Amino acid sequence: MIILFWDQAGNGSDVTPGGRNYLVLTTNKIHFGDLVQIKKQLISVISLCKERGLLHSAKASELAFALDPLPKDELPPSPPFTEEDAQDLDALTLAKSYFDLKEYDRAAYFLKGCCSQKAYFLYMYSRYLSGEKKKDDETVDSLGPLEKGQVRNEALRELRVELSKKHIAGELDGFTLYLYGVVLRKLDLLKEAVEVFVEAIHALPLHWGAWLELSNLVTNIEMLKSLSLPDCWIKDFFMAHMYTELQMIKEALQKYQSLIEAGFSKSTYIISQIAVAYHNIRDIDQALALFNQLREQDPYRIDNMDTFSNLLYVKGMKPNLSYLAHNLVEIDKYRVETCCVIGNYYSLRSQHEKAALYFQRALKLNPRCLGAWTLMGHEYMEMKNTSAAIQAYRHAIEVNKRDYRAWYGLGQTYEILKMPFYCLYYYRKAHQLRPNDSRMLVALGESYEKLSQQVEAKKCYWRAYSVGDVEKMALLKLAKLHEQLNESDDAAQCYMLYIQDIFSCGEQLEHAEVSTALRYLGQYYFKNKLYDEASLCAQRCCDYNDAREEGKALLRQISQVRDQIETPSADLFAPLSNNTPVRRVSPLNLISFTP
Amino acid sequence: MDRALNKLILPLQQGPDLSLGQFLKTVEECCPQTAYAVKLKLHEMANGELKDMEYFFYDLPNPYIAFDSEAYKTSVVGLFMRHMFLAYDKLSFSQVYKLYKSLQQYYHSHYAKPSDGQVGLPALVADDSDMDLTNPEDAVGDRIDKEELDTPLHESELRNDNAPSRGPLSQKQAEYFLARQAYLLKNDENKALKPAALQEELNNMLKFNPDFAEAHYLNYLNSMRVQDIFLSAHSLLHYFDRLILSGNEGKSNGDEGYGRSLRYAALNLASLHCRFGHYQQADLALQEAIRIAQESNDHVCLQHCLSWLYTLEQTRGSDSTVLTEDSVKMAAHFCLPYLASLGIQSLVQQGATQGKTAHKLMDALKDTDILHWKHSLSELIEISLAQTTSIWRMYGKSTMALQQAQLLLNMSSLEPVNFGVQQNNTEAFAVALCHLAELHAEQGLYGAVSEILQHLKEQFPPHSQHAKLWMLCDLKIQFERHMNEGKYHLAEPLVTAISALNKTEGLYRKAQVLKALNRSTEAYSILQRLQVHCEKTKCTEVVIRVMLSTAELHWESSGFSTALPLLLQALALARQHHLQSLASETILHLAFTQLMLGVPEQALCVLHEACIEPVLAHGAVMDKGRALLLTARCQMAVAGFRPNGQGQADLRLAVLAVDTLKEAAAYFFRLNCKERLRDVHYLQAQLHRSLGQTSQCNKSAMLFRLLDQELQSPAPPVSMRL
Repeated sequence: MIILFWDQAGNGSDVTPGGRNYLVLTTNKIHFGDLVQIKKQLISVISLCKERGLLHSAKASELAFALDPLPKDELPPSPPFTEEDAQDLDALTLAKSYFDLKEYDRAAYFLKGCCSQKAYFLYMYSRYLSGEKKKDDETVDSLGPLEKGQVRNEALRELRVELSKKHIAGELDGFTLYLYGVVLRKLDLLKEAVEVFVEAIHALPLHWGAWLELSNLVTNIEMLKSLSLPDCWIKDFFMAHMYTELQMIKEALQKYQSLIEAGFSKSTYIISQIAVAYHNIRDIDQALALFNQLREQDPYRIDNMDTFSNLLYVKGMKPNLSYLAHNLVEIDKYRVETCCVIGNYYSLRSQHEKAALYFQRALKLNPRCLGAWTLMGHEYMEMKNTSAAIQAYRHAIEVNKRDYRAWYGLGQTYEILKMPFYCLYYYRKAHQLRPNDSRMLVALGESYEKLSQQVEAKKCYWRAYSVGDVEKMALLKLAKLHEQLNESDDAAQCYMLYIQDIFSCGEQLEHAEVSTALRYLGQYYFKNKLYDEASLCAQRCCDYNDAREEGKALLRQISQVRDQIETPSADLFAPLSNNTPVRRVSPLNLISFTP
Repeated sequence: MDRALNKLILPLQQGPDLSLGQFLKTVEECCPQTAYAVKLKLHEMANGELKDMEYFFYDLPNPYIAFDSEAYKTSVVGLFMRHMFLAYDKLSFSQVYKLYKSLQQYYHSHYAKPSDGQVGLPALVADDSDMDLTNPEDAVGDRIDKEELDTPLHESELRNDNAPSRGPLSQKQAEYFLARQAYLLKNDENKALKPAALQEELNNMLKFNPDFAEAHYLNYLNSMRVQDIFLSAHSLLHYFDRLILSGNEGKSNGDEGYGRSLRYAALNLASLHCRFGHYQQADLALQEAIRIAQESNDHVCLQHCLSWLYTLEQTRGSDSTVLTEDSVKMAAHFCLPYLASLGIQSLVQQGATQGKTAHKLMDALKDTDILHWKHSLSELIEISLAQTTSIWRMYGKSTMALQQAQLLLNMSSLEPVNFGVQQNNTEAFAVALCHLAELHAEQGLYGAVSEILQHLKEQFPPHSQHAKLWMLCDLKIQFERHMNEGKYHLAEPLVTAISALNKTEGLYRKAQVLKALNRSTEAYSILQRLQVHCEKTKCTEVVIRVMLSTAELHWESSGFSTALPLLLQALALARQHHLQSLASETILHLAFTQLMLGVPEQALCVLHEACIEPVLAHGAVMDKGRALLLTARCQMAVAGFRPNGQGQADLRLAVLAVDTLKEAAAYFFRLNCKERLRDVHYLQAQLHRSLGQTSQCNKSAMLFRLLDQELQSPAPPVSMRL
C-alpha cells in the first residue's frame, strides 16, 4: 500500500508531522504479503554473506531481527552442497580462518586453484582487501608531498583483468559481480561500474551491499529512473535510500512509512533513516523524537549518532548532548561518530579549540568524513581563524562537491572578511544546491544589499519568504529595504506579513523585532489618516519596552488629530479616507496577536 | 671531473626532472666516460637487489671526506650529497624499499619504451618519469582507446591503461610543466597543449594532489581560452582559496601575505568579469578590491586597481583621462614602471583619438620606450610599436606605418626564457599584422593579403581572444574589394558579419552599400544616426567619413552647394586631428564639388596645392586613381572641352590630360575597377578625337564599348561621380 503524505496547506515544502492526515491509497504495489518468505530469504542471504566474509551484511541481520522469528521447521535449508564445494572444503575453511584473522595474502595463497564459486570469491576478495590494506599502510610513509594522493591499490588492475575475462565468459555469480563492480569503481571506471552493479543486483537481489554501492554512483534522479532494477521488495528500501541521498525527502518519507506499514515497524534501520530524513528537512522535533526512540531500542548504537548530536546542538540541549557524548565514549571512543559528537559538545560549550581538536581526530580516523570537515570549518570560524576555516571548507567540498553547508560556510567566511561581492559566488553555489533553503537566499540578499543592488536584494528576500523562511528574517529585511527606498506601501505590507508570520509560528523568537514593525505601521497608518488602525498599532507598541514611549506619543498625536477632525463633521472623514491614493492595506486583526 | 661536468651540476640540480634518456644524453655530451659509469652503476643497481643500492650509499662517503676531492663537503656536489644523505637517512625501512622500487621503475621505463611488446618486463611499468610533452595527442588517443575498449583481455591492455594516466609527477616536473604551459598560453597558444588535453592533464595532477594551487590557476587560464565562464570562475576562486592557506605561512614582502592575496583575489575576479564583458560585475569586484586595499594601505595593489578602473571606464566609453593621468603619476611615484608606461600608452591612445598633436604623442611614446628598454618590458615594447603603427596609419602615413609594423614583426623576443617560441601571439602582433594586411589591400596586393590572413588564422585560431581583430580586418578588406569591383550584391552579406563584430563599422558599411544601390533615403537616415552616435562617442574618423558619404548623397540630388559646408566642416575636423588621408579625401570631394559648380580652375588649383602629392605618396591605389581621374577632368574642363565636342580646346592642356588619364587607367586596372575604367576610356576617346588621333581614339572607344557591354548596367552620367 502506498501512503501519501498530503500536506493540507498545500505548501509542499514541509511534511506535516504527527501523521494524522495521511491519504491511504489502496494500490497494492509492494509485495510484502508474505513476511515469512522475506524472513526466509533474509536468513539465507545472511548465511551466504557470512561464508564469504562480507561483514557488512549487518543491515540484513537487522531487518531479519525486526521480523517475527520463524518456527524451527520453517527455517530455510542450507544451500545445496556441490561436488566442487566438497573438494574445496578444507582449503576454504583454512583460508576463511586466515581471512578472519586479516591475513589476506595467506588466505589468497591457500585458495589459489580452488574452483568452487565460493572459494573463488573469497580468493579474489582477500586479494582485494590485501591491496586496500597495503594502500592504507603506504599512505603513512610516502616519499614526497606530491605523492600524497598517489598511493594506489596495486592489486586492482590485476583483479580487473581477471574478473573481466570471467565476466565476458559469463562465469561470475552475484557476489563476484559485486566485487568486480567495486574494483571498477575504485579504478574510477564509473560507467562500467554502474552496469556491473546492476547486473550483480539482478543476479542476487538480496545482497544489500551491491545496492549500497550502486547508490553511491547514482548522481541524479534521471539516472536513477534510467536504471533497470529487479522488481523485488528490497528495491523499495533502495529507492527510499536514494530519495534521501538525492534530497527528495518527501518521497523518501513516503517510502519508509509504507515499509513500516508493511511490517518492518521494529526495524532500527528504518527508524534511523526516517530520523535522518527529518533532520535533512530540518524538522527537528520529529527527528529528535525518532532518535530518542532509536536509542531506547538500540542503546549501544553509534551509527547516525553524529546526526543526533547535530540536532541536539541546534536545539541547544546541553545536558542531553553531554549525556550522549559520555555514553558514546564509554561504548567506543575511537569512532568517527563519537569524535563528532564530542566536537559538537565542546562547540556548544564554546570551547572551540577542543571542538576543533576532536573534529581533527575524527578526520584522522576517516579523512573522507564530510561532516567533520564542515564542522571543523565552523569551529575555525568561531575562533576567527578564517584561513583555516577556508581550508576546512575547501576540503569538505573536495570530498563532496554537493555539500551546500561548506559552500555556505565559505560564503560566510568571505562575508566576515568584508568581501560581499566575492562571497556572492559561494552563496550562489549553495543556493543552487538547495534552491528552497531560505538561509542561502537571505545571505544572498544581504550581500546584494551591501553592494547596493537593491533590486536583486529584494528579489532574494521575497523568494526567501516564499520558500518558507526558517529564521523569519527575510520579511523584516525586505521591509527595511523598502523603508530605505521610501516605498512605504510595500514596506507596510511586509511589516504586516512579518507580524502575522511571527505570531502564527507561536513561539517567541529572541531576535524578533515586532516592535519595530508596529512602530512603522503606526506611523504609516497615521500618515495615511487611518487613525483606528494607527491607534491599535500604537497600543500594541506599548507592550514592548523599546517602543513604549513612541507608542504613547503616537497615541497622543492621534487623539489630537481626531479632536480636530471631529469638530467639522464626521461625514467629511469617510470619503476622505476612501479617497486616499494609497493602496489600502488590509487592516490588522490585532486581537489574535496577543503574545 | 672537468669543467663542463661541473657546469652541468647546477642545472641538473635545479632544473626539472629528466627522463633517463635525456639525462644520459646530457651527461654524454660533456663527458662520455662519466655517462658510461653512470649507466653501469644504474644498471647494476636496477637489475640487482636492494643491497646494491644500499651499498651505493654506503660506499659514497669515501671520496667526500678527502680534502682534495671535487666532492668535498663545501663544494656544490658535496652539498648536494650531504642533502641526499640526510634525506636517505631519514627514510624508514619501507620507504627505502619504495625508493629502490621507483629507481628500478625509472631505469626500466627507459629501456622498456623502444621495444613495445616486451613480455619480460612487469606490466606495472609506468613511464612516470617522462612527461612526454612532445606528443600529447598520442596520450589522448590512448585514453580514448581505453574508454572504448572497456573489456580488456590481455596484459598489454593493462599497460595501455596505465600509460596515459602516467601516474605521479614529481614536484619539480609538475612545476616545470605548469610554468611551461602558462608561458606558452601567454605567448604562443598554438604550441601549448590543446584545451581539452591540458584540462585532462591538470585534472590528473589535481587528483593526485588537490593542494597544488598553481594547477588551479592554470586551469583558470585554460578555461579562459575556451570562454568557459563557469569553470574559469570556479578555478580562480579555488586557486585563491588555496593561496590564502599557503600565504598564511608568511610572505616576507612587508605586509601579511594572507590579506594580500585576498585583495588580489578580488582584483582578479574583476579582471575575469571584465574579460567576459560583465562590466557591472567587474565594477563591483573592483570596488571591493579597492576598499580592501585602502583599508590595509596597500598602494601597489591600489595602483593595479586604478589602472583597471580606467580600463573599465574606457571600455564603457566614458572619458577616463583624468583617472589615467592620476594613475601614471602614482605609479611613477611607487616605482611601478609597468603600470606607469601602460598608463601612458593608454593616454596616448586617448590623446590620438582626441586630436592631440602628433609630436606630443610620439614624444610620450619615445619616453616610455626608453623606460621599457631599461626594464626590458618586452610586452610593452611590442604594444608601443603596434601603437605607433596604428597612429601612423590613422594619420594616413602608410609608409611609416608599414615600417613600424615590419619592425615589430622582425623583432626577436626579449623574454629571458623562451621555449623555442619565435613569434609571440599577443594582441600587439595581431594588431600589427592586421594593419599590414590592410595596407597591402590598399595597394591592391591581394595575394600578400591572403597570405597574411592565413598566418593570422593559424596564429590566432578563431576561438582565441584576439581572433576578432583579424576577422574584422578580413571582412573589411573583402568588402572594400567587392565595392571597388562593383559587386555590390557580394558586399551586402558581409555587412551583417561586420555588424556582429563592430556595430559602428557595420552601420557605416551598410550605408555605403545602400548608397551604391541607389537607396539614398535609407542610406541617409542611417548616416544621420551614425553621425549623432559617433559624435557622442568621439569617433572622429568615422564622423568625417560619414560626412563625406552624406556629401556624396547630396551630389546625387545635384545639391552640390549643400554639400559644400559639410565638406568644409569635415576638412576642418580632419585638419584639427591631423588625419591626413581623410583630409586629402575631403579635398578631393571639395574639388569635385567645385568642378561641378563650374569653377574647374579653382578645383585644379586646390588639387595641385593640397591633394595630389600626399595621395600619390601615401594613399591607396583607389584614391590615387580617383585623384588622377578628377585632375584629368578638371584639366579637360579648363581646356574648354564640352561633352558634345564643340568649342575650341586648349591642346596643350589636353595632352596633359591624356597622360593623367593613362596613369589613372593603370591604377584602376590594377584594382579591376571596371566602372571607372569605362569612364576613363570614354574620356580618353573624346580627347584623342579632339586631338585628331583617330587610331587611338578608335582603340579607346573599342575598350569603352567592350567594358560597357560587359558591365551591362547603363553608364551613369559620367559627371555625377567622383
